[in-house]
Order: sequence, then C-alpha cells, then structure tokens
Amino acid sequence: MNELLTLTGLGLFSMIAEIFNFRKAIFPVIVLGLLGLLGLCYMDWGSYNSTVTHFSMMKVDNFSIAFTSVLTATALFWFMMSRSFFEDQTSMSDHFSLVLFALTGAFCLTSFTNITMLFLGVEVLSLPVYVLTGSRKRDVASNEASFKYFLMGSFASAVFLFGTAFIYGATGSFNLENIATYLSTQPQLSPLFLVGLLLMLSAMAFKVGAAPFHFWTPDVYEGAPTIVTAFMSTIVKTAAVAAFFRLFYLSFSGIHGEYADIIWAMAALTMVVGNVIAAAQNNVKRILAYSSVGHAGFMLITILVMNDFAAKSLLYYTAAYSAAGIAAFLVLYLVGSANNGETPLNAFDGLVKRNPIMAGTMTMALLSMAGIPPLAGFFAKYFIFVSAVENGYIGLVVIAILSSLVGVYYYFKIIIAMFFGKPDNLPTYFLTPIHRFLLLFVAAIIVLTGLFPDFVMGLMTI
Amino acid sequence: MELIPGISTEHYIFLSVVLFCIGAFGVMYRKNAIIVFMCIELMLNAVNLLLVAFSRQWNGADAQVFVFFVMAVAAAEVAVGLAILMMIYRNTGTTDINVLNKLKG
Amino acid sequence: MEQLVKFIPLFPLIGFAIIGLANRRLSKGVTGVLATGSVLASFAIAVIIFMNRLGGDGQAVTVTLFDWITAGNFSAKFSFLVDNLSTMFLLVITGVGTLIHLYSIGYMHDDDGFRRFMSYLNLFIFFMLLLVLGDNYLVMFIGWEGVGLCSYLLIGFWFKNIDYSSAAKKAFVMNRIGDLGLLLGVLLIFTATGSVTYDSVFAQAANITIPVVTTATILLFIGAMGKSAQIPLYTWLPDAMAGPTPVSALIHAATMVTAGVYMVARSSVLYMMAPISMDFVAWTGVITALFAASIGFAQTDIKKVLAYSTVSQLGFMFAALGVGAFTAGVFHVVTHAFFKALLFLGAGSVIHAMHHEQDIRNMGGLAKKLPITHATFLLGFLAIIGFPFFSGFYSKDEIIIQALAHKPIIGYLLIFGALMTAFYMSRLYFLTFMGKFRGTEEQQHHLHESPLSMTVPLMVLAVLSVAGGYLLQGYMEHNLTLGAAVTASTEIEEHTLHGLHNVMWGVTAAAIVMAVIAYVLYVVKGQRPSSDADMKGLEKTIYNKYYVDELYESLITKPLNSISSFLSNWIDINVIDRLVNGTGGGINALSGQLRLTQSGNTGFYIVAMVLGMALLVAITVFM
Repeated sequence: MNELLTLTGLGLFSMIAEIFNFRKAIFPVIVLGLLGLLGLCYMDWGSYNSTVTHFSMMKVDNFSIAFTSVLTATALFWFMMSRSFFEDQTSMSDHFSLVLFALTGAFCLTSFTNITMLFLGVEVLSLPVYVLTGSRKRDVASNEASFKYFLMGSFASAVFLFGTAFIYGATGSFNLENIATYLSTQPQLSPLFLVGLLLMLSAMAFKVGAAPFHFWTPDVYEGAPTIVTAFMSTIVKTAAVAAFFRLFYLSFSGIHGEYADIIWAMAALTMVVGNVIAAAQNNVKRILAYSSVGHAGFMLITILVMNDFAAKSLLYYTAAYSAAGIAAFLVLYLVGSANNGETPLNAFDGLVKRNPIMAGTMTMALLSMAGIPPLAGFFAKYFIFVSAVENGYIGLVVIAILSSLVGVYYYFKIIIAMFFGKPDNLPTYFLTPIHRFLLLFVAAIIVLTGLFPDFVMGLMTI
Repeated sequence: MELIPGISTEHYIFLSVVLFCIGAFGVMYRKNAIIVFMCIELMLNAVNLLLVAFSRQWNGADAQVFVFFVMAVAAAEVAVGLAILMMIYRNTGTTDINVLNKLKG
Repeated sequence: MEQLVKFIPLFPLIGFAIIGLANRRLSKGVTGVLATGSVLASFAIAVIIFMNRLGGDGQAVTVTLFDWITAGNFSAKFSFLVDNLSTMFLLVITGVGTLIHLYSIGYMHDDDGFRRFMSYLNLFIFFMLLLVLGDNYLVMFIGWEGVGLCSYLLIGFWFKNIDYSSAAKKAFVMNRIGDLGLLLGVLLIFTATGSVTYDSVFAQAANITIPVVTTATILLFIGAMGKSAQIPLYTWLPDAMAGPTPVSALIHAATMVTAGVYMVARSSVLYMMAPISMDFVAWTGVITALFAASIGFAQTDIKKVLAYSTVSQLGFMFAALGVGAFTAGVFHVVTHAFFKALLFLGAGSVIHAMHHEQDIRNMGGLAKKLPITHATFLLGFLAIIGFPFFSGFYSKDEIIIQALAHKPIIGYLLIFGALMTAFYMSRLYFLTFMGKFRGTEEQQHHLHESPLSMTVPLMVLAVLSVAGGYLLQGYMEHNLTLGAAVTASTEIEEHTLHGLHNVMWGVTAAAIVMAVIAYVLYVVKGQRPSSDADMKGLEKTIYNKYYVDELYESLITKPLNSISSFLSNWIDINVIDRLVNGTGGGINALSGQLRLTQSGNTGFYIVAMVLGMALLVAITVFM
C-alpha cells in the first residue's frame, strides 16, 4: 500500500514539476523514487499482516510484493533506457507521469482483492499506454497502433464489465473471497455465473495477448515507438498475467474443472500461433512481438496448473522475460534509431563487429528467451514444464517444447545475422554510459538469475 | 424484488444483452470510427443497466458505486479515443477505420 | 569457526576475477602477488579451521551458503561440508597451491601470457576447493567439471603449438568419458535415494539394493578413472605434460588427479556395500600401478617419467581404496602431493636451467651446477622410493600392509610395483644429476640455479616430503575414520600386523637395493638410454608406451572416424538435412498461411475475438 501511495506521489510530482521548472530534477527524482520503492518492498516482505485488507479492495501479501518488486525493478531499467528518447521530446514530464500512472495501475493489478480494483487497475494501466502508443503524433503507424489498441482495448473492457455484471448477478458480490465462498457452497453453477466467467476469461486473455484474442499484439507492438513497446512487453505483460493468475487463484480455483480445458486449448493455441508466425517475419520488432505472444502461452500454463509452485514459476518467468525484454528492446531501439526507425533483420547484420556489447547482450537476451541453459529463460520454462508434468498436462508440455524449438529457429535467425552478416554501409554505434551500464547489468542479471533461480523463486511463498 | 410490477430481473438481463449485442455488432461492422465509439458506449451502458438491475435484486449499493466507476472510466476512455481520432484525422483526412490497415502480416 | 570456510573458495575467485578483468592494467609483480596472496589467504583460513578442529570434537559441520535449486521434490543447497577429510584436502590444495603459485611467478615470468596463466591457476584452485568442499554430489560435480576446464585451458596454455592444443583436447575428451560415468552414477544415486546430499544418501544407503549400489559405485569410479588417469583412460596424463611445469605439479600431480581418490573416499559408505566394486577398484589400481611403472622404465623425457610415476602412484592409491584402506589411500594422496609436486617443480627448475631441454639423455651431472634443485630433488626421490622415515615410507607401507592383510595377492603385486618405482626413479635421478654432462656446449655455459621464488617452494616442499609422513601418521590414523565398518568386521590381529611390518623392512631394503643397482648401471658403468633410432625390441615397445595410443587410434578413433564420416557424408545430407529442411520448410509454409489471419483490419480482429468467445462457449458446453 505504501508502495502505491509513493508511486502516485511520484507521478504527481512528475506531472507538476514542469510547471515549477524542475525539469532537470524529474529524472533523478524518479530513479531515486523507484529505488526507494524497492526498499519499501524489501521492508514489507515477510512483515505484512495478511489479514489486513484495505477496505476489502486490496491486500498486501508475498504475491503482490514479489510482483511489485519485479515491476519496480523493470520500471527502473525502463526509465534508464528511455531517458534519451523522452528528453528529445518537448513533453517529457507528461510522458514520465503517464508512465508512472500506468505503473500505478500495474501495482493495483498485483494486490487487488476486489473486481472493482481489478477493473480500475486495468483501466489505469491501459489508458496511459494508449496515449503513449500514439506518442509519435505525425507517424501514421503510431496512430494506427494507438487506434487499434484503444478500440480493441475498450471492446475488451466492455466484455470484461459485462462478465463482471453477470458474476455480480450470480454471487451478489465483487469481493473475490466472497465469490470463492459462494462457489464452495453452490452444488451447481448457475448459467449466469458461467457466462460471466467466460466473458471475464476472454477479457483477461485479451489483456495478456493470448490467442485467439492476440490480434492486437503484433500490430500494436510494431506501430508503437520501440520504447513504449518495451514497456508493453515487460511491465504491461507482467501486470496483466499476474492479475489473471491472482483473479483465478483467489476466486475461481474452486471450479478449476470448468475452465481447465479452455485454458489448455488457449495456451496450446497461443504458443503455436505466436511461435509459428514469428518464424516467417523479417522485421525484428515484429519477431519479438510474436514471440511475446508465444511467451504469453507459456505463462498461461501456470494459470492452468494453479498451485503455489506455479505462482513461483510465473514470477520467475516474468522476471526472466522482463530482463530479456528490456535488453532486447533496448538494442532494438538503438539499432532502429540509427536506421530511421526501421528494424528489418538485415539492419542487424554484423552487429558484433559494429558494437560487441550490444550484440553480446542481445544474444544473451535472445538465448534466454529461447530457453537455452544456463540462462534465466531456460529455468523459467523448465519450472513451468515441471509443474505441468506433475499435474498431468504432458500433452501440453509436448506442444510447448515443440513450439519452443520453433522459437529457437527464429531467435537464431537474429543471432546469425548479428554474428555472420556483412555489415556493409551500416552505422557503428556509440553507447552512452548509462546504456552501456544497463546492457551489461541486464546481461549479468540474465546469467545470474539463471544460475541462482531460488533468489527469485524464494521471493514468493504464498 | 420488482420495482415495476410485472417486470422481473430477467427482463433487464434480456434487454441489456440485446443492447450489448447491438453495440458489439456495431463495433464489428461499422466503418466510421465515431459511430464505433458510440457503439462501445452503448455496450458500456448495457453493462450499467445490468449492474443497476442486479443491484436492486441483491439490495446492495456496491454495484451502483461500480456504475459510477464505469461512467468515469468511460468518460476518460472517450476523451482519449477522440484525441487519438483527431490525430488520425489530421494525418489521413478520414475517420474510416478501414484505412488503418498498414500494420499487418 | 567452520563458518569461515565460506571465504576459502572466495579468495581465489576474487583473484581470478581481478586478474582476469584487469589483465594488462596490472603489472606482472602485482598480478603475481595478488594470485599467490589470494591462495595464501585461503591457506591461512584452512590452517585456522584445521587447528580449531584439532582441539575440538572433530564433528562434521555443514555450512550453507544459499538454497540453490528447488524444483518439485528435488532440492540442492549450495553448501559446504567441513570434516576431517575435506579439511585435509583443503590444507593440501591451498598449501601446495600457494607454493606452486609462488614458483610460477619465477617460472612463468618471461611468458607473454603470465597474467592469463595466473588467473587460470586461481580459477583452478577455486574449482578444486568447490570439489572437495561441496556437501553434495552436485556441488562436487561443478568443481569436477570446473577443474577439468582449467586443466584443459592450462594444458593448452601454449595453444599456438598444435601438439599442445591437441594434448589439451585429448585430456578433455578422455575426461568427458569419465564425467559421463560420474554423472550417470550421481543420477542413479539420486533415483535410488531421492537426494544428492552426502549425509542423506549415506543415511539411506542401507535401503538401496546391492546391484544398484554396485552399478552406481562402478559408474562413479569410471568418473574417477578419467580424472585420476587409471587404465584405460590414463593416456591423457602423460600428454598433459605439454602444459607449463607448474601446471603439471599442481594439477597433474598434487591436486586434480587425486579428485578421483577423494570422490571414492568420500563415497566410502557406498563402496563398502559393494564388494564387486571394491575388487574392481583394487584391480584397476594395481594393474595401472604396474603397467605405468613399467612404461617409466624406458621414458627419456624427464616430465614423462614423472607423469607415468604419477599414474602409477595413483594406482597405488586406488589399490588402497579397493582393499578398504581408505585412510591409507588418502594419506598417500597427501604425501604424494608433497613429494610429487617437489619432483615436478625440481624438474621444472632443471628444464628452466637447461633452456627447455627435457630429454634426460642430454642431461647428467647437474648436481654441481644446481645445488638447491639437486638437494631437494634428492629428498623427493628418497621420499617416493620409500626410504625409511621419509614421507613415502609411511604411506606406501601402510597401503601395502593393508593390502597384504586384506587381499594378499594385491599386496604382492604392489610390492613388485614399489620395487619398479625404486628402480625407474633412481634411473631418472642418476641420469639427470650424476655422471657427466651430455648436453651441448651452449647449454652447459648457461646452466644456472633458479631464482629464489622458485627455490623457496622447493625447500618448503622438501621439508614436507621428509617430515610430512611422520608428522601426519598419527593424525591420519586417529582422525580419518573412513570405511571404519569393514576394518572392524575383519579385525586383523595385532601380531599379524606386526609381522607385516617386519616384511616391510625387507621390502624397503629391497627398494634400496634397486636404487643401488640403478647407481651401478647408470653412474658406475655410465650406461645411457639408446637414442630413438637405436631402440630395439622390448625397449622400443616400452618407449612407445606399448603402443597404447596407437591401439586406441586404430580400435576406437579410426572406426569412429569412418562411422562419423559416413554419418556426415550420407546420413546427414540425405536423411537429417532433408528432415530438418523439410520441417523448417513446413513451419515456414504454415507460418506464411497463418500470418494471413493477421489482416491488419480492426473490424476483422474484433469479429475474430467474438468468434473466439463463441468457441469458448462451445468448448464449455460440449466438453
């Protein structure tokens, strides 16, 4: 709760700082604020009182603290990578405050205990991101992405609300615990509830970008400015999938059998569609967008398994994926900004000769996403597969492994271009100190979280 | 709990499902972005109607509070949506959503 | 106090990191001091722990650093086990390690890769410490693989020489064969007991069936065969002499090659349950001891002789383990570390003086020119042949007595091996240091004693080679209670042991006689080994190491090569490539079709979403 208030304060400061001519202070204050947030998370960890709810709207527990920490750390990296991008623009403080408010929404999504809060969290997260997606006002692609995201997002919100209304109609409450109690006392599910559940499930699947509700993802990721895409694929994705998990864990786990088949099919379809379509792409940004769809499929497996170990593996997966995502999108951004914003595969030709640090970190990130041991991504997939096998979803694991093999193919397309392509007439890059630090640091994180998975997994003991 | 004699909760459910579907079909098939926005508003209002009806049925106030949240968020959404549309209109000179299909594949 | 053990591997790791990262930014002097100092610091802590335990109750202590992996019901902690066995190894590794680091400063000083060399040495020490400190097979395995890596890097240190880098490759490949065995063994143990932690594995050992424990221990021993150069995986060790001499002393004599002995001694509880494995270990050891010793007779390269002697001595250690005398085996590891490191470093000093001449046919009479090297080498030589009251005397006698008491035939063969050792080591010593100088004029002119940084380690090791056995004898007997179960069950009567001690005096005398024979042959009669061209018959066969390398080449490497060329030229192109390309093409085609769904049209997307929702309803209703 303190984290949420601090972050809101930070957002307000960032919004009005420009009025009082504090522009220069914004960035340092945000970085310090986020570091302070990490400190708050550290202090809260293990010392919260799990019976305390805030007006039965939110509750702090290890789940929320763990995901909040991951989100905060990712946001910190994100601000460090985006500094140069937003300082070019006239409206830096607006952008920063939008991002901070979006992050506030993301925080709500990790700690809600009431559908009202879930709805508000989703909207508070989404609305700023619609705007950020369109922040390149003169660029038609950016406009289009923003419009598509907005339109489909609003549609999904309406579906979500419709589902909420039905669930309220069946249970008489928005409180997740009450809903769980209702489910445990009902011998037969009312059709009202079932319709509501399906509608909510669809809307949440839209938010995490799971097939067949994934259509917005590739287009929006491609059209948005790369920095914003990085935000979407790390923070928005983590928050959405955490919310999905929390919602089902707290309220619907009693009727697991009703929706298990659906999630099974959705996870399988998402992994296959995401990874297979990515194989034929030539734009690296779009490859990463489809790969992000594929990763959503892997994360869905944890919602299918739905136990404490699944929660831990989800945390680990999101942390590993966010680290790799920050690294990959930072390199993508640097390559794109020297190439008129275009990021075709051949813009990466021979990157290793032009800037070894960028190529090295990109390789680490891609190998981690592909699940090559001993990097973080390998263990992330491994833990999820273990939990799935233990619960008897062997067929799904087979599909998952096959689609990760396809993943290896397209990740290596990029790596091969970087190492064996001919860098004719392509620019060399000079990294700012902050970017160099970030690249090396994130690469180290990818390796270290792989070597010591329990440091992340241990954050969460539900 | 019947406010108006002869009209039960089922009637409200039926009405709001119809409204919601009209809105959804509008979003799917209309070309003009402004009309699409209006259809989304229609969907949200169907939700509001449903929530209020259930609120009467359960005799609780929380759904009505929820409706206020929905209205506030809907207003914010429309503001953002219209701003995005303005931006597009400036760049392309049209509000036809079928023009926006450059990102694909 | 045992908590301090966390810092022991830390110092070499920091040393490695600093030297490795700073590279040329550090002067050679600073690099040397840093590398040696970091190992010395570890040594100091090891001594503190040892002293502390000496006064304490000698209980094993587990020090956990962190939970490493927890997945399902598998969990491995990154934790260290401090008991008398690991403390002994800690002392040897850090103690001998410090001396060899010091020696390297002088020996490698003019080499371009000095910093790289020192950083590898530090890394090696780090992994070796992990190997002996881990409280479970997994941490040991990390150390095991890590030292293998460092061994590879250091053998191929002068990688521009093709022969040297292929020697490195050979060592790596042979070790991989062993590592596979080790890994399978560990996995089998995990399946049988559900744990990889020593404590819980040994606690549950009684529940494992005998066939399983036999298989597991033999698999583990295959790992030891690779790492500790036992037949048939020994051929890499002589080739490993391609590395700089300090490497041979540290890795290929004192520490890494004894990892196999450590592992078997550590798993003694399991081995005690499997008599077949014990016999296997004993016989492998004794055959290796004799076989390698016989090759030592005809070698002319000073380091090769020492290498075969190492293989042979490792055979002694395994023979000791195999007859259940685990303590004697570990004791011999320690004394061997002292005198073999000394001999290698002495050989290094000779090679240094002779400007990289390694052939003993071109040496002779070096005693006068290299007084310190000679004196220390002499002491090491006396220790290895088991001259009374030198360190080798105690440990080797202990091994042979235990073997005679438990498996007499092994004991007799080991006595024979000890006599062979006495002869070929004498041959080496006399040809190198006695008689007339046989090298070129120029070499004679340049002969010089090595600098202090090289001779100080020699002197320290010489003291240890002389007194180490006497000093440690009592400690070993009372504090290392490995495999206690068997010694109790087959208690040897006191007077039998006494009789065996008398036999050993005879053996020692015979060994001295062998040395005298060698003296007569090589000094009095002035005989010298034939040149390569003049060799005939048995001498030539032995000189060429019984053609074992050639045998492996024609039996294993060539058939494998032809199979692999068939696989690559036909199977790979006609089957695998088609399969892979076909799959890839299929995925690409599918991908091309699927991406059409992404039409770019918002209306279509929303229709698809609505259809998706309808699909969900259908699944729910019909399934």
